[in-house]
Order: sequence, then C-alpha cells, then structure tokens
Amino acid sequence: MRGDDVVATSEEHAAIRVSSVAHEFGEEGDARHVRALAETSLEVARGELLALIGPSGCGKSTLLNIMGGLLAPSRGTVQVGAEQVRGPLPRSIAYVFQENALFPWSTVRENVELGMTFQGVPAAEREARARKALQAVGLADFAEHYPGQLSGGMRQRAALARALSLDTGILLMDEPFGALDEQTRMVLGEDLSVLLANERKTIVFVTHSLGEAVFLADRVAVFSARPGTVKQIIAVDEPHPRRPQFMTSAKFHALRDRLYSLLHDEIRKTMEETYGVRR
Amino acid sequence: MNWRSAPRSPWIARLVLIGALFGAWEIAARWFVDKMFLSPPSRVFVSLGEVLRTPGVLDALKQTFWELGAAFALSVALGLALGLAVGLRPFPRRSLMPIVLLLYGLPQITILPLFILYFGIGPASKIAFGVSHGVFPVIVTTVAGVQNLKPILVLSARAMGANRMQMLRWVVFPHMIPSFFSGLRLAMSGVLLGVLLAELYVSQSGIGHFTTLFTQSLEPTKLLGLIALLAAMAIFLNEVVRRAETRFDRFKTV
Amino acid sequence: MSRVVQAGFVLAVLALWYLATEYWGVSGLLLPKPAAVLRELTDVIRTGEFVADLRITLGELAAAFVLSATGGTALGYLVSRSQYWTRTLEPLISAAYAIPIILFLPLYVLFFGLGPASKIALGATISFFPVALSTVAGFGGVERMYTVAARSMGCSGYQLFRWVLLPAALPVILTGLRMGFTVALLSILGAETLSSVSGLGHRIVSLGENMAMARMFAYIVFAVAIAASLNAIVSWLEARGRRA
Repeated sequence: MRGDDVVATSEEHAAIRVSSVAHEFGEEGDARHVRALAETSLEVARGELLALIGPSGCGKSTLLNIMGGLLAPSRGTVQVGAEQVRGPLPRSIAYVFQENALFPWSTVRENVELGMTFQGVPAAEREARARKALQAVGLADFAEHYPGQLSGGMRQRAALARALSLDTGILLMDEPFGALDEQTRMVLGEDLSVLLANERKTIVFVTHSLGEAVFLADRVAVFSARPGTVKQIIAVDEPHPRRPQFMTSAKFHALRDRLYSLLHDEIRKTMEETYGVRR
Repeated sequence: MNWRSAPRSPWIARLVLIGALFGAWEIAARWFVDKMFLSPPSRVFVSLGEVLRTPGVLDALKQTFWELGAAFALSVALGLALGLAVGLRPFPRRSLMPIVLLLYGLPQITILPLFILYFGIGPASKIAFGVSHGVFPVIVTTVAGVQNLKPILVLSARAMGANRMQMLRWVVFPHMIPSFFSGLRLAMSGVLLGVLLAELYVSQSGIGHFTTLFTQSLEPTKLLGLIALLAAMAIFLNEVVRRAETRFDRFKTV
Repeated sequence: MSRVVQAGFVLAVLALWYLATEYWGVSGLLLPKPAAVLRELTDVIRTGEFVADLRITLGELAAAFVLSATGGTALGYLVSRSQYWTRTLEPLISAAYAIPIILFLPLYVLFFGLGPASKIALGATISFFPVALSTVAGFGGVERMYTVAARSMGCSGYQLFRWVLLPAALPVILTGLRMGFTVALLSILGAETLSSVSGLGHRIVSLGENMAMARMFAYIVFAVAIAASLNAIVSWLEARGRRA
C-alpha cells in the first residue's frame, strides 16, 4: 500500500521531471517584478494523473506553462522523457486551457482539426481522428456548429477533443472546468474520468476545486502561497474510472478534509496579502 | 396588404417622404426658382440620355470609375501591407501609429494643388489623391484587428505547434477579418472623396471639365444629370463594399 | 523609446526636404526650400496678410456650423421622439450621408455664386448629417428606465427634457457636434479650393497657379495649423462637456 506524501517515483518511468524550477516576471527593482514560483521539484509518473492545487497566484499555472514549454523558467530545467524542454512540444504535449481557446471563426470540427493541420497530418487522417475525438467527448452531433453557438461546457468538451485528437502522451490542463457551473463540472468530471481510463495518458491539471482534485487525480500536489512551491503531495489510491459513489465515500471526505486543512492557511495568507490585513 | 397596417411599414413612409421631396423639388423648379439655377427632376431624368451623349461625358465617367477602382485596390493593398508591418509587433506599433494617426488627421484638401502639380492633370493624380485618403482607414483597422487578438488564442496555437506562417494564416488573418472589412468600407468612402475632389478640381479634363462647362453655360439640367450619375456610381460602389462586409459576418468574434 | 522614433521620423523628413532642395537639385518650382517657406510664413504672419482670408474662412465656418448645429439637433430631437420615425428616417439619413456631398458643390456654386454663400451652404449641408444622426442616437438611446423613473416622480415634459433626456443624450450629441465641426471645416476648405475667389483654400490655389511655391507652402502650413488648433479646441470642449 502506498503511503501518503510520496514525492518521487522511479527514475526510468518519470514522464515529466521538474528540477529546481523557479520563475520571476519582470526584473529586480522593476515595479512589476513578481516572484511567481519558488524553487520547485516534481516528478510525474507515466500514465498518472497529477493535480496541482493551491491559492490564487501561487504559481501553479506558471509551472504548468513551464512544463509544457510555453514559458522558459528563470531557473531550473524540465525534462519530458529524455528530452529537455526548450519550447512547445506539440507532438508530446497537448493543452486544454481554462476557456475560450477555441477559434470563434471556425466550426468545432475545424477547431479540432487545427492542431493536426499545424503538424501536417494529411486530410483524411485528420478527419478520422477528429471524428473519433468528438465522439469520445459526446460532441459528434455538433461538429459543424460554431463555438459561439455552444454552451461553456460543450466548448470545453470541444477543447478536450482538440487536445485528444493530437494523440500526445501528455495532457496539460489549466483549470479546464474553472469557468463552468457546479453541475456541469460534476458531469464533465465524471465523463473525463471514464474517458481517461481508456486513454492511458499522463495528465497534469491545475484546479481550484478540492473535490475535483480528489475525484480525478492519482496524486494531488498542494502549493503554498506566493511565491509558491510544492508544500505536500497526497496520494489518492482509488482505481480508475472513478465512480460517482466515490464522491460520497468516507475515503473521499477524509482526503478532501486533509487538502482543506493544508490549503486553508495558505488561502488566508494569500487573501490578506492581496487585500490588505483584514479580519 | 391591409391598409391600416400600410402606413406602419417604414418602407412605405420612406418612399412617400422621398416622393414628397422630389415633388417639392419639381414644384419649386417649375414655378418658383429661376430656370438658370434649378431644374425639375422630371426634366433632369429625361435629359440624362442627352448628357451621356455629350461628347466626352461617357468617357469621363468611365475614366472616373476605373480611377476609383484602381485607387481602392491600391489603398487596400498598401494599407494591408503597412498595417501588418506596423501592427504585428508592439514596438513598431507604439512608435509608428501616432505618426500614422497624425497624417490621417491632416486636412489633405490643402495639398490637392500639390498633387496636381506633381502628378499632372491625368488619372495619376486622381488615383494618388484617392489612395492618400483611402489608405489610412485600412492601416488603422488592420492594426486594430491585429491588436485585439486574444493572447490565449496565440498561446493555444503555439502550444499546438503553429509556425509563423501558420499563425498568420489560421489565427491572425481570420481574426482580422471583421476589422478589415469595416476598413474596406471606410477606404471606399475615402477613395470616393479623394478621387472626386481631384476630378472636380481639374477643369481641363475629366468630370471637372464638364461640371465647369455646365456651370458656366448655366445648364442646371445637365449639371444635375451629371451629378446624379456620379452619385449613383458612389452609391453603387458603397453598396458593393457594404454587402461584402455582411457576407463575412461569421468572422465576428463573440 | 517610441518617442525617439517619432522625433527621428520628423527629423528625417525635414532632413530629406533640406537635402533635396539644397543639394539634390530638386527644382524650387516643385519643392521650395524649407528656409524659404519659413521666411514666407513669418512674413505672412508679421504683415497680417492672412487676416482677410482667415476671416472669410472662419466666418463661413461659423455660419455653416451654426446652421447645421441648430438644424441638426432640432431635427434629430424631433425624429428621436418617435420610434417609428427613428426607424424610418435614420437609415435614410445615413444612406444620404454615404454619398460624397462635395459632388453637389457645382450646384451650390451655380445657385449661390462663387462667394462665401455657396461655401456656407455646402458646409452646413455636409455637417448637418453627423449632428442629426448623433442627436437621434443620443436621445433615442436614453434608457427607458430613466424616463419611467422620472415620470413616476411626477415630472412635466419640460422637466423631463431638462433633467433627464438632455443630460443623458449630451455626451453623444457633443461628439456629433465635434464631428460636424470638423467636417464643416474640411468641406469649406475643400469648396474654397475647388471654386472660390476668397478664403484660405483659394489663397493656396492661387499662389500655386502663380508658382509662388514658398508662399503657397507657408499658407498650407498655416491652414493645417489653424485646422489642427480648431480641432484641438473643439475636442477639448467635447471632453469638458462630457465630463460635466
């Protein structure tokens, strides 16, 4: 039985290895200087789903962007497999952003095919993969719609389909359900779990929701307040696909409570810093 | 059509109003105003053929039309190129846009005589003056279209591995389209103004020759006829661009 | 850094102008030397030669703007009172504005002659449109809630106008007035350039015809400066009015 607080996994299996990464925006002495991320090290095992959770501004999205090669860190390195990350790796890593990353002037199908177009995938194969991805997220009937005609939940499904169609080994998701209401989140979370159980991808996703983190993740990395670093990692030992009953189980609640107590002080600290000392 | 609802339709009211205006014009021209100064619409309409048959008028009209087309095409091409050059990166935009806006705001009519001096009394000066008016809205709207591109769309495309060309073709250009088309509409207005001003100014040939001729020989009928034809040309060209703009409506981002 | 580029641009233009006329042999009949232009400009200002033309141009502008401002706001207000008439007339007015009205200048000249009257008439006609359209939009865009709230407090027609409609519509109307002013100025300068015997526009043309290039350039600079100053003043007034 794996104990809690597992920090590292076997070297050969790490899909992503983050070594002493720290990041600052702006220059020292500049008014806009921000220490976004304190020195952080982390490993993501192949095929696991790691959740990053923490108070606002703690650097979890920054870390995600660094992992994906969208941002060059001020210090430290990231390795994906054997390669060191120096820029985006479209063939290895696919992204799902929080909202509105679909191009409003293209249909859902065109949006899903776009990544493959950039990578030079031939048309017939593009179409087939897009159709498969849309079917997997339940949007097959909406392929010819425009994003503006869809609800927020459907748009995120489309964004997910786009990421899946790229057939990458790694999926990075930055608060994918952040802009959605509670009910949609619940449904999408369950669907995502079923979907990912079949796909065997390595996934890192950032979330604000404790429940979502526990429900979906194999491990949850809790961040401290800005400048953030990984405070603790908690393992969720529950087989995939996670069933709805898991949400109401005692194990779920215990884990969620642990997360809460770890986070509570960090959140308070962040709020006070942002809005001034308040009581 | 139910008569009670008929007055409610805006189109009926508009037609009635336009009819009333033409009617007032007709009455005023026939009985109240000296024949030297105003001609009734009925006579103007009837003598349109005569105007067109006046030697040189049809050629002048055709010439003006192709000057408008050429000026428009040049304005769009030049404006797009300059707009992209200035707008795609923040530094050129911040430093060069104020210059563009300054030039855009100048009362160019004051240098019309210079254009004629430099480019002559032929079509070149008309086209040049037209381009000088039409190029600026295209530059400004192109820069605006590129500028408010949402960063997340660029990030998303980068993450999917888009290279520079792909970024332009699949992200920047589609995003720019609504802005670009409103720029086209403004460019057409500008070109119409520039070309027509230049044409009216040059009295040795072209439209200006005939407006001067008809004015000096006190022929309001023919003058009105010529102006009506030019106005029709302007309306036609404006409509074409306006229609084109609505056809690309789907690119308007939500 | 961008300021440096802008300053550099201006300096480059001046430098090219200087080099072209001093060393590269561009004829003074095409491009006068910058020093000559400056000399003529100071002469024009010192002798007050510009006063007569400026007075005419500004007089035409004032008359045209008064006409279009009163006519435009009055008609705009009346039209805005009825949704039906707004829907009916507004597109017509917009469509008419889309035609380059400068085309009608020969008609105005035929009717009013080459003097200031034709310029005033044309300027008033052209600037009527932005004023009227913005007045319609301004009064028409007043939130119904404001009217309903005011009426529920028992206000009369005049009070409604003075305390609700006018303040709410004013920002939009001020913008329309500013646009009308700018357009009137341009139209009048244009009309003076095309067919006139007086005014700044005419002065520029006649100097050009007499090949007095340096003086012509001086008047161009002068006219542009006047136009820019007037526009700046009007924009400032608009901003003041909107803030109040």
